[in-house]
Amino acid sequence: MSDDVTSERISGYIRERFLNGDKKGELEETTPLLEWGVLNSMNTALLLMFIRDELGVVIPPTKINAGNFQDVKSITAMVTDLARQDQATIAAGTE
Amino acid sequence: MNLHQCVIDFAGKEPDRLAVTGPADALTYGVLDERAGVLAWRLRALGVGRGDRVVIWAEKSPDVVAAMQAVLRLGAAYVPADGTNPAARVAGVVRDCSARVVLSTATLLPQLHDHLPEDFLLQDLAEDLDGAPEQINEFVEPDSLAYILYTSGSTGTPKGVSISHRNAWAFVDWAVRVLEPTPADRFANHAPLTFDLSVLDLYAAFAVGASVHLIPAELAYAPTQLVDFLHQSQISIWYSVPSALTLMMRDGGLLERTAPPRLRAVLFAGEPFAIDQVRRLADWTSARLLNLYGPTETNVCSFHEVAPADLSRDRPLPIGGTASGARLWAQRPDGMVAGPGEEGELLVEGPTVMLGYWGRGRHDGPYATGDIVRVLPENRFEYVGRRDHMVKVRGHRVELGDVEAALAAHPDVSEAVVVVAGTGMDARLTAFVLPGGDGQPGLLDLKRHLARRLPRYMLVEDVHVVTELPRTRNGKVDRAALAATARQPVTSRPL
Repeated sequence: MSDDVTSERISGYIRERFLNGDKKGELEETTPLLEWGVLNSMNTALLLMFIRDELGVVIPPTKINAGNFQDVKSITAMVTDLARQDQATIAAGTE
Repeated sequence: MNLHQCVIDFAGKEPDRLAVTGPADALTYGVLDERAGVLAWRLRALGVGRGDRVVIWAEKSPDVVAAMQAVLRLGAAYVPADGTNPAARVAGVVRDCSARVVLSTATLLPQLHDHLPEDFLLQDLAEDLDGAPEQINEFVEPDSLAYILYTSGSTGTPKGVSISHRNAWAFVDWAVRVLEPTPADRFANHAPLTFDLSVLDLYAAFAVGASVHLIPAELAYAPTQLVDFLHQSQISIWYSVPSALTLMMRDGGLLERTAPPRLRAVLFAGEPFAIDQVRRLADWTSARLLNLYGPTETNVCSFHEVAPADLSRDRPLPIGGTASGARLWAQRPDGMVAGPGEEGELLVEGPTVMLGYWGRGRHDGPYATGDIVRVLPENRFEYVGRRDHMVKVRGHRVELGDVEAALAAHPDVSEAVVVVAGTGMDARLTAFVLPGGDGQPGLLDLKRHLARRLPRYMLVEDVHVVTELPRTRNGKVDRAALAATARQPVTSRPL
């Protein structure tokens, strides 16, 4: 999955679930999600489940920090990075 | 007794014993003592002395715990502010309590420049400082101020609950007698340090030379990670709002794994715990289960230990009978003391009742909680509801007027009413907004606006822009009707 697709799926989920569809189209890649309370303690748990179930990426506890969840951009970067590591592990395992 | 002598004592006797851990580091009593000592020395150089206030604005960490100890050793009081609070609100607290210094971290400190005078004293709490030439341990009176916890105020200004060493220690002492912790115990700290639940985690641990294990804010509601934490940190005494436990059971697979053998007490407070959840927890672990009750102003003043007979009830657990040496009674609307079976407002008198609200004079006499209770036999109580507009969101108390005032300050809002939809883990603040000015306020724009003024737990999740607000016959906003609307899901809710 490319960065753009991942970013769009994460944005789409946040718009639908946490922003009532974002009717005014306010969400941007750099909107500070934690700071503005779009992601709160409960929402973050839901987003983690979405990323696990729909994007197939499990985020380890050490990655769950304010820096990695501050906006769509940083979440996307973390998810693509973890997905890449997973693939590398699988590839190494099949050799 | 005071809140800082224990660490000094254990550091002298057993310096290598573990005291506090965070995600990144772990401090022994010896190192905690040393860091507190060095920072106390620096604070003294900055002019902090007995009776002063020091605001500590940071994400929780072992260094923050050391900073709290440092402030206390000077005979001063600490005022915790969560690292996620906006700078403007923190500056408001700094001014309200006329703090002498703000202790914070390198990333947060610059944000205060726009809000405080240029020469205001700011100190990085993690700065690598030179050793202290001698130990600072000022004598404190039992009635000396130990800390101030700011809570939501109904008119839009936070209120500072002033707690003395005697107040706090009466609670800690009670907790130690009930839990009988030993140095081998490992306490979890789930609550933010601005929340009075954390007082038990930190000081009951330090009172006996046990260790406390901090859960960072980002992990506090991450279900599988919390369950992992419970097992990996070998927690023996857990204390949190019920919501966190419900989440761990529902989404974290808590009950699918064998209960950790060391877990021997699970404490919860801050909101009612659904009885079916308590039942599932009791089936899973043989640990003691304790429901604690008390507003910030009195700390824990009543408790109920879950017994087998409770599990067959269909109502929430009682808040129980007296804790921490408190005297409790319920007062009927006619001013008389309520008897068994009757309802009334719970009043509290005793050693844990606060000194007062900062800047508003000394509190005298019993504290009226604003909580309506039903009286049970043997002077025990059951929680019924509130008599005002204060609500709880995952244990955090929120004055709706505080949020409404912040919303109404937006140029595109002429009036706002906030209600709570859902209960327990699913509680969410929902705003109904009458537009004013030229434009229709956007959801994200309103969130940004609130985020500059309020702590995170007070930010609204949903906003309904409406053309009029429903009124009752006497012209007041019909909050019940709005709450019913708010319960209709805006988008489909997860399972």
